[in-house]
Order: sequence, then C-alpha cells, then structure tokens
Amino acid sequence: MNWHLTPAQAHEYAHHRSDDVTAMSVEAHITRCAPCRDLLPADEAWLARSWADLRDVVDRPRRGPVEALLSSLGVGEGTAKLLAATPGLYRAWLLATVVVLAAALLAAHHLPLGSLMFGFTAPVVPLVGVALAYGRGVDPAHTLTSVTPLAGQRLLFLRTCAVLVPALALCTAASLMLPSSHAPWASAFWLLPALTLVAGSLVLSRWLHMGAASAVMGLLWLLALGALVTSSDATPLQLLAPQAQVWWAGALATLLVAILWRVRTA
Amino acid sequence: MSPTTTVTASVHVRGLVRRYGTRTALDGVDLDLGPGVTGLLGRNGAGKTTLLRCLNTDLEATGGEVRVLGCAPERAAERTEIRRRLGYLPQNPEFYPHFTAFGLLDYMAVLKELGGRRARHDEVRRGLERVGLLDRRHSRIRRLSGGMRQRLGLAAAMLGDPEVLLLDEPTIGLDPEQRIRFRGLVSELAVRSTVVLSTHQIEDVAALCQRVVCLDAGRVVFDGTPGELVDRARGHVWEHRGHPGEGYTAWRLADGRYRVLTPADGAHTVSGPGLEPVEPTLEDAYLLLTGVEQDVR
Repeated sequence: MNWHLTPAQAHEYAHHRSDDVTAMSVEAHITRCAPCRDLLPADEAWLARSWADLRDVVDRPRRGPVEALLSSLGVGEGTAKLLAATPGLYRAWLLATVVVLAAALLAAHHLPLGSLMFGFTAPVVPLVGVALAYGRGVDPAHTLTSVTPLAGQRLLFLRTCAVLVPALALCTAASLMLPSSHAPWASAFWLLPALTLVAGSLVLSRWLHMGAASAVMGLLWLLALGALVTSSDATPLQLLAPQAQVWWAGALATLLVAILWRVRTA
Repeated sequence: MSPTTTVTASVHVRGLVRRYGTRTALDGVDLDLGPGVTGLLGRNGAGKTTLLRCLNTDLEATGGEVRVLGCAPERAAERTEIRRRLGYLPQNPEFYPHFTAFGLLDYMAVLKELGGRRARHDEVRRGLERVGLLDRRHSRIRRLSGGMRQRLGLAAAMLGDPEVLLLDEPTIGLDPEQRIRFRGLVSELAVRSTVVLSTHQIEDVAALCQRVVCLDAGRVVFDGTPGELVDRARGHVWEHRGHPGEGYTAWRLADGRYRVLTPADGAHTVSGPGLEPVEPTLEDAYLLLTGVEQDVR
C-alpha cells in the first residue's frame, strides 16, 4: 500500500463507517505507519489497561485442578492458592500414605486379624502429614514464609486443612476396601481418633514445634495401644469400639474448644 | 492498630539479650535505626543473624526491648503488623524447587497479603523485573542457578516495598554486574526505608552504607559512619617489604609486599626498612576493630 490515510478516511474508519475492504486496508496500513496511526483517536488509559490485562493473562501461573475446584467452591483466591500449593510440598508423604494404606489393606485381606493393622495405622496417617505441614526443618522455605503476616496459626491451620483433606480421603477410600466381613462401624472407627490426635497436636503446637507436638500425640497413641495389649482384662480393639467413640468425640470437642479459644485470644 | 510506644526510629533496640541455652548470642545490644542503609559487620557467630531474627519477629528476645516500626514483636497483633511492613532475606534462602519463579513470588505475595490478584501479579512482575528475572519467570526454581535463586530471594524480600528490609548476606553468589544492580535497588529503597545489611562483603558496606554497626561476641563494638570507622584505623596500617613477624595481622600483596595492621594497644610496633604508613581501607578498619590477630598469610 503506497497511500496514506486522509483525515476523512481516518474519521470514517474510527467511527466504523468504512466499508469492509477499506477497513481491512486501513488496518493493514496502520500496523506499519505511525503517522497514520496517530490520526486515529486513542484511549491511552484503555490501551494501557488492555496491555496490562493481556500481560497478566500471559504471565500468571496456570491454575491447577485443586485451585480451580476450590475457587469454584467459593474459596477466596489467595486461600485457594495457599491450600492448593500445600499438597505439592508433601508429595513424598502422600506417596508414603498410599503405600502404608495399601500395605494395611493387604494385611486386612490376607492375614488373620489383619484389619487391626489398618485400624491402628489410619489414625496416625493424618498426624504424620500435619507434622510435615509446617515448621522449621520440614518446610524448606520456612525462613522466608515464617516472617510473613499469614505465618503462625493462620498458615498452620490452612496447611493442616490442606493435609487433612487428602489424608482423610485416602483413609476413607481404604476403609471402604476393608474385607466385607468386618463390622459395619469399622469403616469409620479410625476417624474420630485421627481427628483427635490432630487436634491435640495443634493445641500442643502452642508450646512445641509442630513435629514434636505430633510426635507426642503419636507416642500417646502407641502408649495407649501398648497398655491395652499388655492388660489382661482389655484389648486394643476397645480403643476403636463404639463405646470408645463417645470418649473420642468428647476429647475432640474439648480440644476444638481449646483451639478456638487460642485463636480468639491470639 | 496502635503501636505500643511512640518511637521515632524504625528499629529501636534496648538491652537486647538473646540466649540459646547457656550460650549468649546477643548481650545487651542498643540500636536506633532510621531510613538509610546500615551495614552489620562481625565475624561468624558474632550475633548478626540472631539480631536480624529478633528484628524480623522470628526469634523472641530473652531480655531487653525490641520495637520495629513502633510495634512490639512479642504481642501477636503487633507482630503481624511488623510482618506486613517488613522484608527479610535469610542467609542461603531455600525455596520450593517445583515452583516457578513467578509462582513462588505470587505465593509469597499472598502470604504478605499484597492486594487482589491483579495488583499482586503486577507487584510480582515488578519484583522479577528489578532483579533481572522477568525472562525466567516461568522457569522452575530447580532449574535456576544459585545466583538467580539469590536474586529471587531478594525479589521476595522487596515485595511491596517494605518499610524495614533486613538482608542477611544478600550478595553471595551474585556476579559483579548483579551486585552493582543490587546496590542500586537497595539505595533506591533506602530513601524511604530502613535497610539493615548483614554481610562479610566490606565493599558492599563501603558502597552502600551510611552507617556501620559492628558486633563482636553479641555486643556492639562500633556504631558510626564508615568514615569514622576508617579514621580509627589511621596510623595503624602499613606496608612492609617483609613479614613483620608473629602477632601481627598481615597478608601478602600482589607486589610481594605485606600489608600490616598494628592494633592500637601500643604493644605492637613495626620497624625496619621498607616500612611505610598507608591510607586505611574499611576492611583494614574492620579487621583492626574485631581484633583479628592471626597471621593471614
């Protein structure tokens, strides 16, 4: 094209009154000709905004399926990002959880009283995940993240949620695959102990490193099992029996009150 | 949120003590810092990192008083307020290797409560641009070099233009060009922010700092301008054609002569032919101050 736009042509084009052929010629021409481009009115603010929007679309990290799901459920964009990023930090733990639960299921199906292994392992699985969720030594970027406004309880609780959900989902899936001869209540017998152990570790984290707090709770669980194994008039199964679930529910409620009280007074 | 006390300095420290078990890392530190760059010098174990961690709210003081931007780190609400207005680059920062550079800064910006998504992304982009990593924004951190990771840490610390910026050995791994760029960035920020730079790189202190604080065994042994520190060394720095003997801090120069430091205690004198007094550098002054007695041949 060896012509240039006249002011009249520019005016016609700017007001969408040019015919299609002229409009296409003008568009092809103004991409190469700055003086003709300058004849067209431009909303600089709109252009800047549009370029910024475009840049943002190109630059922003792609949302993963978890983040997209959380956002669609109404979780705030920042919270969804923090929750979705967390399981990625604990892939090794997730893998280990799958292996442990698979081993427990194999035992349940092939060994006499093998279901006990699942029953006594499942409550500890989320606890281990929570121990790895937050703190110096387990979070590689802890020195960076620990001095941000969200650090401390808020980040700890967020990460606990992010760990609990996959842990509980995996344990539930495994419990549904237990042998059908198992007592009906057995599919959920591990849930209240698991939640109680996690809540206990969160309460203890007020005074102890998260890993140490979880270790204390895990140790208490093992001690309780040990005490019942060595007792002549009780069995470890009593820890998971329907009557014991009432006690677990009471302990969990008490610990949740303690956590809420801690959050309110912090 | 109202700060605990009315303190004009951004960083106000009185009688700060920090112990790890029986070991005392900080032993009665007094400091008042305002806008500008303050260099924190001292040998390994002198207490520099501990001081920064007390200021950044990561460590609680065993004794004494710390106020950052008028807020007390021991109170939860005020601690959060400090964290909103503070940037920190730890020594040898570690990251999540599977994150991208953009993703990590975005994650840090969420933790720093930096606005909505668009504002946050703009800030992340600005951060990457000023440390020269915008073209690597989609690279996984595991694929970045050590120097690039250090620059990413700097960008994370500078997110949101913090009012107090604490940098622990920030120029480790940076090439000369990046180091000059870093100095420009810090100088720009220090016009309105308080920057504390803990380093062993004396040339960074000489180039950047209006004030130098030297720590030794957890105590402040010097607090003044770089010029005042250099003045202290005047008359105690020499060049000598041979090694002066045991008991001196001396090192061999490229031309075969020795640079000799004589402490101001009067017990050390250098004599003999080839001896000439020379203008001290900040490094000479620092070495004299910290009493490095060993032969550094």
